[in-house]
Amino acid sequence: MPEKIRIIVNEDRCYLCGGCAGVCPALAIRVSSSKWEFFQDKCISCRICINACPVGALSAEPLEGEL
Amino acid sequence: MRYDVVVVGSGIAGPIVARNVAKEGYSVLLIDKKPAIGAPKQCAEGINIKVFEKYDIPYDRRFINREIYGAKLYSPSGYELEIRYKDVSGVILERKVFDKMLAFYAARAGADVLARTEALDVIRENGAIKGIKAKHEGELLEIYADVIVAADGVESTIARKAGINTYAPPHEFDSAYEYEMLIEGFDPDMIHLWFGNEIAPRGYVWVFPKDEDRANVGIGINSDNPRTAKYYLDKWLEENKVPAKKLLEINVGVVPVGGFVKELAKDNVVVVGDAARQVNPIHGGGMAEAMEAGTIASKWIVKALEEENLELLKNYTREWWEKDGKRLERVLKIRKAVEKLTDEDLDVFIQVLSGADAEKIAGGDYLEVIKALLKHPKVLMSKRRMALLKELL
Repeated sequence: MPEKIRIIVNEDRCYLCGGCAGVCPALAIRVSSSKWEFFQDKCISCRICINACPVGALSAEPLEGEL
Repeated sequence: MRYDVVVVGSGIAGPIVARNVAKEGYSVLLIDKKPAIGAPKQCAEGINIKVFEKYDIPYDRRFINREIYGAKLYSPSGYELEIRYKDVSGVILERKVFDKMLAFYAARAGADVLARTEALDVIRENGAIKGIKAKHEGELLEIYADVIVAADGVESTIARKAGINTYAPPHEFDSAYEYEMLIEGFDPDMIHLWFGNEIAPRGYVWVFPKDEDRANVGIGINSDNPRTAKYYLDKWLEENKVPAKKLLEINVGVVPVGGFVKELAKDNVVVVGDAARQVNPIHGGGMAEAMEAGTIASKWIVKALEEENLELLKNYTREWWEKDGKRLERVLKIRKAVEKLTDEDLDVFIQVLSGADAEKIAGGDYLEVIKALLKHPKVLMSKRRMALLKELL
């Protein structure tokens, strides 16, 4: 069972390219032309989005109190 | 709002569908979330010259930045393979202008076009999809349509919300990063590609010239790589002593290079282009594939509307898989084999291939190239290379 995580975006690095949303198997990220959004309830903690980001704009932090 | 067809996304596939369907007299709305269609680009901007005639697109100097006469391939140890044509073989586009002009052609054919309009969700009534919810300049819109076209890029939000399975595993995506920059020392009439597991794991570095001293300089790597595409491109620039101090643009994106969508039409929703993962898995280019898919999809949308039978949309899935799908599956098999090549293999292959072989690579005739490689002593001497290549026959 993977550790439950929250995905965080570094807005200074993010280009809003939408790649993270494209690779997310759970539609847990939405990227519009002006903002990046994360939906915790949908995230399956797979970290695919973190690796796929071409600039390393995404990271994860553990969700407190959840395993 | 009510239309016969609503097209979500004005990249390449979307406006081709909108134009073709509107031309037949049907009401079409084409929307795009960006305030300026075509910007920012997520592309190296190179395309084969044949597409203009094939897909009825004007050869317009406003979006043709540069004409290209061939390609140069570089192996990890520096072996080079050159293919140079007498005539123009491809062009480097200005996507900012090209995409907008494709939308303009759709508008001129009769489609309505709304920039800065983001699709949020599908509208369902009694289980059936009746249209989409969108937002334009902060105003919520309900757009009803008989047919919904999801041309919404790699994110494929609308396709996925409509229940079309566009999932592909992480290894079936490339992570790409590109500078449009001033650069010198490369033949500006050719595109240049560098291969190597240390240079660009699974992918390549490209220089696509836009002027004598300006080019798109980019990289694509496997998206499940622990390092970023930016890391590898910056490393390559530094190792090759290419100063990265005159950066005019930075372009970023994720490219589907496999995982083609099995069901391209479901009820009244069709998916095209990057959203349908219709991209060449070897070179990561998807513009020609999007044009082809858009052409097939629009043909069946028109037939379905004419005969008032949306079941006909399923023929788009069948026809695409019979034509481009079958071809791209073969290319995917080759990509998977190429992934297993060591830097030494890449050196040998580029060293032993001739210009004629390169011409076949450029034309997509990979089978003939594999046959040529199999005959070469440097390949014959390696059981592993022989086995790898034979798998592809």
